[in-house]
Amino acid sequence: MLKKLIGGLFIVSISFGQTTANPQFSVVGDLIMNDLHNNPNFYSSGIEIAVQGYVNPFARADVYLHKHNDESALELEEAVMTIERGLPFGLGLRAGKFRPDLGKINKDHAHLFPFIEAPSGMANILGKEFWAGTGLEASIFLPLPWYSNISIGSFDSGLGDHDHGIEKEDVHNDHKDEDAHEDKDEHVDEHDHGKNEKKEKVFSARWGHFFEISDINLMEIGTSYYKGPESSLMGADFKYKWRPNKYRSLTIQGEIVQLSIKEEHHEEEVHKGEYKNKSDAGYLMINYQFNKSFNFGIIGDYYKETYKETEINPSIFFGFSPVEESTVFRLKIGQVEDHKSHKKHLKTTAQIIWSLGPHKPHRY
Amino acid sequence: MRKFIIISCLFTCLYGKVRVVSSTSDIADIVKIIGGENVTVTSIARGNQDPHYVEILPSYMVKVRKADIYFMVGMELDLWAQQIINGSRNQKVMVVDCSVEINKMEVPTGKVDASMGDIHRFGNPHYWLDPENGKLIAKVVTEKLSNYDPKNADQYKTNLYEFEKDLDSAMSKWKNKFSILKDKKIIFYHNSWPYFSKRFGLITVGFLEPKPGITPSPSQLNQVINQIKENEIEVIASESYFSVRAPKFIESKTNVRIVKLAQSVGAIEGADSYINLFETNLLILAKAYGVMHD
Repeated sequence: MLKKLIGGLFIVSISFGQTTANPQFSVVGDLIMNDLHNNPNFYSSGIEIAVQGYVNPFARADVYLHKHNDESALELEEAVMTIERGLPFGLGLRAGKFRPDLGKINKDHAHLFPFIEAPSGMANILGKEFWAGTGLEASIFLPLPWYSNISIGSFDSGLGDHDHGIEKEDVHNDHKDEDAHEDKDEHVDEHDHGKNEKKEKVFSARWGHFFEISDINLMEIGTSYYKGPESSLMGADFKYKWRPNKYRSLTIQGEIVQLSIKEEHHEEEVHKGEYKNKSDAGYLMINYQFNKSFNFGIIGDYYKETYKETEINPSIFFGFSPVEESTVFRLKIGQVEDHKSHKKHLKTTAQIIWSLGPHKPHRY
Repeated sequence: MRKFIIISCLFTCLYGKVRVVSSTSDIADIVKIIGGENVTVTSIARGNQDPHYVEILPSYMVKVRKADIYFMVGMELDLWAQQIINGSRNQKVMVVDCSVEINKMEVPTGKVDASMGDIHRFGNPHYWLDPENGKLIAKVVTEKLSNYDPKNADQYKTNLYEFEKDLDSAMSKWKNKFSILKDKKIIFYHNSWPYFSKRFGLITVGFLEPKPGITPSPSQLNQVINQIKENEIEVIASESYFSVRAPKFIESKTNVRIVKLAQSVGAIEGADSYINLFETNLLILAKAYGVMHD
């Protein structure tokens, strides 16, 4: 009896010890200056609050809250528990609301991008804030000599806003007030979209490989697949990094995705069930970090929709990190296309990004 | 039958060893000395890498996936190691903090925050740069290897004894040969060297970084130039991974000499083992102060 009591007290004391340990708390914020048609305006892409920590020796939890602008509420971006140990066959499991392992860029938060904003083609397909689904994802390392990982997930909410016509690269994003208004509308759209899609199960999968070619040459490749009731997506991605030392690196990264959506209005016809509308998107980025504080690069952004013209928008970008990754200045000059007039414009975007705590705008 | 014996021998050779991964090359070298033929060891950070910041690569997780023991530096230097260990999903790996026995220096008192730069809450973590601490690391390594692989425990203890003997004889040689370095004033780029300076009697006057981890600003460089002139400092020493731009600028304005030291095994030529790391660094410094020549 005494042994049981002591054992019970021991367990209680362990649980108590675990629950009193504080998680890591971080905040990332920014200020963006956009200049289009010689009409500069300031806005913030939002404040991100991250709370991260271990739940127990086997699992960790990550919660990201995001406030998009002054008028929007604080929204739940991700809340996920990751079981890292204790499952058979070295299985890993993520459960909650999170960005599934689909392609290369979908898992990254925007503050990581050296090119400030997500490539517009990818955003057209994955959603402006990219795809975060609520569900479960299992991953397993394959017993190969190199890193090879397969992730398979099932989710209640599907890909971004494609059914509703996603917000294109905001060429008409000239005024702060308009920005706020658009963001608010998008928020409503996304919310409604989430509601509609909740009953539909979607599946996603990625098979990724990582090769350490040599001490300084690293290569990552992956293929992805997504299947929803009305759509499917296939994608391929790669990242090559040459990193002779900590302060010098060359990164070449690219990704292509093709989204196919079932034709909704041909249910009685012979084409029933066939994939009719296809959208292709992709990007190719080259980023060179030439010393401790500076990096410079180019990105080409590609988007093609069925029966529409191909959009290719190149940009150059520049970054300066004076104090490691706690404060970063970024500048991007790029071409954007007005979807109404099909005219190309030059857009300049500058960003100051800061972080408190361990979650930082790390080097890409 | 012969085939079976050959396969068994191969299996024992490949898999009968204790598989060890360490955060740094210094610990890896000590593990190699203590473990000898009975261990295979891989280091995550290369000797010429800054151990504070290691980009977490999936290939590191593959290395740890099959490891039996992981040796960490600890004291929040290799915080990245935990991510690699967790990412490896290796449930059996024994994680060992090598700093447990160390008499820690520069443990901050009071509040610690980012305004102080990249400061470590548990003290300065560059403890392996004192050969006496190398013995303490070796003791921890011996204990853990013996616990994991008791049938070779005697061999590990013998190797520890040999390692301590080698270090002691090297230490007495260094004490005589490099006694000329005692009380020499020096400026370092980063505060990696308090254990080294204390052991060999160097006097640290300042650092190029205004605060740990912060790139030297022009005003900081001016301050260092004045410091060099006032204190008649002859040498600035830097870790192998830092840019030489700031030290070279100071060199052009003063008579100071710039040297690169090995902060870890493999960082520079000559520092190919834990003992040679000290031999190489002491030789570089002695030459820089002009008290020893080729």
